[in-house]
Amino acid sequence: CHDDLNQTPIDPDSTTEEDVFANASQAKGALAKLYASLALTGQQGPAGQPDISGIDEGFSQFSRMLFNLNELTTDQAIVGWGDPGLPDLHGLSWSSGNDFTEAMYYRLAQEVSFTNSFISNAELLADEEVNQFIAEARFLRAFAYYNLMDLYGNVPLTTEISTELPQQASREEIFNFVEEELLEIEDQLADSGANEYGRVDRVAAWALLSRLYLNAESFIGTPRYNDAVTYSEKVINSSYSINTTDANGNGSAYDELFLADNNTNGAQKEFIFTLNFDGIQSQTFGGTTFLVHAAVGGTMNPAEFGINGGWAGNRTTKSFVNKFVKTNAELNASIGPVSDWGIIGNSTPNGWADPDTDMYEASPNVFKIFTELTEGELKFRKNDDWSVSFGGENGNLIPDGDNIIVETTGRVVITLNLNNNTYTIQSIYESLPDARAMFYTDGQTLEINDVSTFEDGFAVTKFRNIDSNGNPGSDSTGDFVDTDLPVIRLAEIYLNYAEATLRGGGGNASRAVNLINELRERAYGNNSANITSGDLDLQFVLDERSRELYWEGLRRTDLIRYEQFTTNQYLWPFKGGVKDGVSAPTYRRLFPIPNDLLTINPNLTQNDGY
Amino acid sequence: QDTVKGTVIGEDSGAIPGVNIIIKGTDKGTTSDFDGHYAIVVEQGQVLVYSYLGFKSQEITYVGQNEINVTMGEDTAILEEVLVIGYGTAKKEDLTGAVDMVSSKDFNKGPINSAQELITGKIAGVNVTSASGSPGDGQTITIRGLGSLSLENQPLYVIDGIPIDNGGVGGSRNPLNIINPNDIESMTVLKDASATAIYGSRAANGVIQITTKKGKDTKEFRYDVSLKRTVRNRLETVDVMSASEFKNLVNNVGTPDQIGRLGDSSTDWQEQIYTEQATGEEFNMSALGNAFGFMPMRASIGYTNQDGILRGDNFTRYTGGLNLTPRFFDDQLKVTLNVRGSYVENIFANRDAIGSAVSFDPTQPIYDSNSPFGGYFAWIDPQTGAQRSLAPTNPVASLNLVDDHSEVRRIITNLQADYDLTEHIKATVNVGYDESNSNGRTITSDQMPTDDQVGGLRNGARTTFSQTQKNKLFDAYLTYENTFNDVHSLTAVAGYSYQKFEYDNYSYDSEKEEQGNTAEFIDRSKNVLLSYFGRANYNYDSRYLLTASLRADASSKLNPDDRWGYFPSFSAAWNIHNESFMDGSDFFNVLKLRGGYGQVGNVNGLGDYNFLTRYTSSQSTANYQIGNSFYQTYRPEPYNEDLKWEVGSTINVGLDYAFLDDKVSGSINAYIKKTEDLIAFTLVDPFTNFGNKIDKNIGDMENKGIEFAINYKAIDTDDWSWNLGYNVSFNDNEITNLPDEQNVGGISGGTGNNIQLHREGETPYSYYVYEQVYDSNGRPIEGVYVDRNNDGVINDDDRYIKENPYADVLMGFNTNLSYKNWDLSVQSRVSLGNYAYNNVASANSYERKATENQILSNLHSDYFNTGFKNITQRGLLSDYHIQDASFFRIDNVTLGYNFNSVSGNTQFRVYGSVQNLLTVTDYDGIDPEISGGIDNNFYPRPRTFVLGLNVDL
Repeated sequence: CHDDLNQTPIDPDSTTEEDVFANASQAKGALAKLYASLALTGQQGPAGQPDISGIDEGFSQFSRMLFNLNELTTDQAIVGWGDPGLPDLHGLSWSSGNDFTEAMYYRLAQEVSFTNSFISNAELLADEEVNQFIAEARFLRAFAYYNLMDLYGNVPLTTEISTELPQQASREEIFNFVEEELLEIEDQLADSGANEYGRVDRVAAWALLSRLYLNAESFIGTPRYNDAVTYSEKVINSSYSINTTDANGNGSAYDELFLADNNTNGAQKEFIFTLNFDGIQSQTFGGTTFLVHAAVGGTMNPAEFGINGGWAGNRTTKSFVNKFVKTNAELNASIGPVSDWGIIGNSTPNGWADPDTDMYEASPNVFKIFTELTEGELKFRKNDDWSVSFGGENGNLIPDGDNIIVETTGRVVITLNLNNNTYTIQSIYESLPDARAMFYTDGQTLEINDVSTFEDGFAVTKFRNIDSNGNPGSDSTGDFVDTDLPVIRLAEIYLNYAEATLRGGGGNASRAVNLINELRERAYGNNSANITSGDLDLQFVLDERSRELYWEGLRRTDLIRYEQFTTNQYLWPFKGGVKDGVSAPTYRRLFPIPNDLLTINPNLTQNDGY
Repeated sequence: QDTVKGTVIGEDSGAIPGVNIIIKGTDKGTTSDFDGHYAIVVEQGQVLVYSYLGFKSQEITYVGQNEINVTMGEDTAILEEVLVIGYGTAKKEDLTGAVDMVSSKDFNKGPINSAQELITGKIAGVNVTSASGSPGDGQTITIRGLGSLSLENQPLYVIDGIPIDNGGVGGSRNPLNIINPNDIESMTVLKDASATAIYGSRAANGVIQITTKKGKDTKEFRYDVSLKRTVRNRLETVDVMSASEFKNLVNNVGTPDQIGRLGDSSTDWQEQIYTEQATGEEFNMSALGNAFGFMPMRASIGYTNQDGILRGDNFTRYTGGLNLTPRFFDDQLKVTLNVRGSYVENIFANRDAIGSAVSFDPTQPIYDSNSPFGGYFAWIDPQTGAQRSLAPTNPVASLNLVDDHSEVRRIITNLQADYDLTEHIKATVNVGYDESNSNGRTITSDQMPTDDQVGGLRNGARTTFSQTQKNKLFDAYLTYENTFNDVHSLTAVAGYSYQKFEYDNYSYDSEKEEQGNTAEFIDRSKNVLLSYFGRANYNYDSRYLLTASLRADASSKLNPDDRWGYFPSFSAAWNIHNESFMDGSDFFNVLKLRGGYGQVGNVNGLGDYNFLTRYTSSQSTANYQIGNSFYQTYRPEPYNEDLKWEVGSTINVGLDYAFLDDKVSGSINAYIKKTEDLIAFTLVDPFTNFGNKIDKNIGDMENKGIEFAINYKAIDTDDWSWNLGYNVSFNDNEITNLPDEQNVGGISGGTGNNIQLHREGETPYSYYVYEQVYDSNGRPIEGVYVDRNNDGVINDDDRYIKENPYADVLMGFNTNLSYKNWDLSVQSRVSLGNYAYNNVASANSYERKATENQILSNLHSDYFNTGFKNITQRGLLSDYHIQDASFFRIDNVTLGYNFNSVSGNTQFRVYGSVQNLLTVTDYDGIDPEISGGIDNNFYPRPRTFVLGLNVDL
């Protein structure tokens, strides 16, 4: 009977190490977990057998947390929910027990443990196919460590599973480990484009090196811009290419990158490393399900996003919106000469008092002005005098007619057309020429007064769960999203190249201009917005990164590299928890090591400031 | 020497077989035969002692009578004195540990559905709380406070020697639903470790021994029939805004759009989901007697049918029991066979309705002829035609359109054989089997409001499950019993026990199948517990008592190196009243001093294979796409090779007393219970494991307390009798060692908020809150909290511990008054210092909730006290919502009348009873007695009226 004490699992879902590592095809299931643990949250989907405990399972998904830590802390995103610790992220006031900073640490450390265990078990198989699995596992471990280093700085460096409490390594040691690993596996990974969709090839290693080197000065104080240029070039010269297929025919090939069929609509050519989602078979409350649902609210129609309802959380700030819009003065200067015509009224900047706000002559008898309107009325008049004036309604001008009631407020472009006696008042955000400016403004205000109100701040429509034909994703309930999420895509590497070149990395400046223009031509659908080498400076690259890569998990790192994250060089609404924004202490550039972990592992030292 | 003959009969004139007839001072004796006859050789002047368990002993001196016929009187006092203590019985006087028994005549009366309710408020230090007001629902019993943070906190239930599995089986509301309360003879509570250590690892939270009624050796069969009719009345509902109050609010704060959503109706949704009255009935019948002359037996059947006050809720139970206690070979072999079965049908009314009835807009109608959802009003998104995704579902629709049934079958059976190997040594073998089996299904109508879009899966849903749990027991032990020189008595037990627990669960989900996902799930596990145990009781002249026991337990849940746990106990008692120096004083009837120490282990509730490296494969909703295929993934599970027993040690000292001719009796106990190597699901460095939390031995906890119980027979005359019982217990529970704090106590409102904390130096589950700031009128100021650490910012570091859900003082008071054929009993309780978190108010009383999410939602009336506009994490976690929930409750009042014999031995009793008669509390929620302290969507406890009839013939 004593033998009966040796019980082993009898559950059909439970397997042993010997079974999992019996052969290459079984081991592929374990490899799939290494990818899946960055995309999903557990073995049940969408929730039920979580990988990370102690936090809402949906919150614990890697890219959702990356959004929270790298986007929500910046000008690009703000959220209205009051979940514990969440408002503190945009407020740059998180505590060392913040749920999100903790869970991200756990998620990444767990990925390290998963990969360590995989590598040591898979090595015993001594199989060629498995050797490539191992190289991919090492890439994923390097990716986890890259993020740990970026977010937390000094973390333990472990390469095998042991219950012994690990020592803390320095940020530089982690940096060196990531670099060495990526260099070592470069040749063991599949050739460019030779691997299955969803699995990385050697271009991913180069791309991550490009990212690593670009940030080297920021991370460890040693500039590595030459290496950044070198590895960016390798990527740029690889088989990957910028997507130019406008599969849904809406005039731009940019939005295809974030549609439900972005694994097949052409966008996949640009994706170097993706997290794959599926509304039926890969369900999570994080990932793109989060990015799509959380951004829908107010008067937005969920069906247009392929979902059953919005979660009314994420919006953006005016600081980011204005990256797409020049100032009124700049815009007005490009219209034409100042004219005799102007606008007057309680909706205009000067009210009913003189002088009128002058309009500019765009063409004969057509006048325009970019200005800011509030609720109220206005009239058009000539020479600041009531002798020649127009009122009107419904776009039609009426000489000396009733005041025009302003329905569109905020920044608008007003057109007065005396050729056919019509006028238009249009929000300038409705149809920005840059197709990357994907905002929803109806019922939303640009200005944020109350962070918790969804209608405060523009909504972002970048991620959708509809395919190029306009059909919703595979989950007919509308809960879970098919859209894959690019973690590294070629456009970023273009911008890395340009920036590293500008920072003295020895790249070719005119090539940098061409690369950026390639992105801008896709964004504008033509070359009207192309830049010249005179336009290219570091701030321009930062702004261009913002326009191209917003909500893709890079912004905090970029702002830190540009010394704009905590400093007062750049303030955005509710930075530091204050409406107009304030600077924050420099130590906020790193997140804290989870406080509770310090008591578990006395080898750890908390980051300065926490 | 003469031979004397005679017959032994009972008060009912029936012959009593098996009566021991011994010549006092010798070891000579005989027993009465089946007809009560006996014959014995005796000398003049010798004294014959007639004794039989359950009857008063008699002594008759032989002075040459031809025949000595004896009528034995039943001795209920003696019956009580014999307690079941685990692998044996003992007289109360001989016990050394803290053990209390409540026998059937002292059980709580009235609408009792479960065994636990029989002893609510009866025993100091034993707290019984019902989970809700739903019929047949679970009861939480805690004995002397919490013993563990994450493992099982319930006591071990032992029914007729079978330790049952009290992990709830799916679809079952209460593990003790197996047993019809009517079949229970007595319940014995073993409170301290010196008493429970013989059960070792299973007894960490005390043991409740349930002894069922057995057959008697009476010649005539007796039948007992009882009938009960119950009516449950709804008491309070959550205080929400009325339709007109709500309309005013929306008109004041809403936008024109929002105001436009107001309806014209005035619907009290809570009124709609609860019935005013829920009825029920109960029928029990039993027969007991001696079959075939050698087979004392008792057979019983029972039927209970009870509606809940939530519309549609119903609990129906059929029970059957059979006890056979035959004896063979001149009583050398005693066999006990118990077979007990139950069949329970549950209809679970959809409890989602409780929460949605609180917040559903009262201006909307129940029905809307334009609604695509079965004509029930729903918040429809005009763009999709589906219900808005964040809208609550019409409470009436969710009650009517969801059909949730389950059936639970359970059988517990055991066969015990006691064989007298020699005069002093008895061998016992007990084989038991406990199997429960449940099936359930939830069918959601295709008319049910859903946010699935048209063309999606709007065709209803069906989920089913079936579960089987098996528990096999084999016990074998030897008992040695002897007395030397009249004064040294020794009882020793040594034995072996084996238990195996098996679980097999299956579930199915039609929606998953329609989506092409895996729709069937299987979950299986098993574990084994293997033990050796021994106990010795030494009794010197009924004055000095010593008990020592040791149990060795091995559990398959632990790794082979840490698998065995050894749990000893020592205790001693001094019956001062038996000392010669007390002879002159007849003041005390009982004065006994006890002291003991014992250890018990705990792994109950721990996962089955935590020490092994296991891989869990993903379900089809969590596969991962590579290329064009979706791969099932394998995840290594967090593991802990170093898990060992959680060990609790108790020191208990006590005093039992009785004086003034047993008019006053009771006991006092004081204890300290330390639990070490507390197992909790706690943080681990994820660089060293496959997750961030594992079950780990991490800390220590301490319970200290004093218990006092007193019974007073105020009046005891032929016509009048009046008994009063009072007990009080003080318990203080503190975590004495916990390296990392743990947030627990999830609440609704927002996502991921926890209101409670485990922290070293504090009571487990203490509330962890922000300190609210109030204005000069005493109104809480929204969003303003005290900067307790004075660092200029309000963040997590400003939270503090305020109170906890556990009472500092619990009291029970009960009284029985009878006059001639009338009897009246009252049972009441007091709980002091227990605090509750009013989650219903905190999550539903902020203004924005009324109009957000493009729907309207009703508010809790606490809004009028606060005027809060927004929900925030800090607002939810404000100490404003922590309220003193101390209470006084009259649980039960019963008035009965016993008719004198109508014919022959037939007896009638009629009684009426009210349960939950009165609650006095300052707490604002609907009920202050909330297990765990978080008051949210609580199923209200009704007031229950019972009319009952017992016939004994």
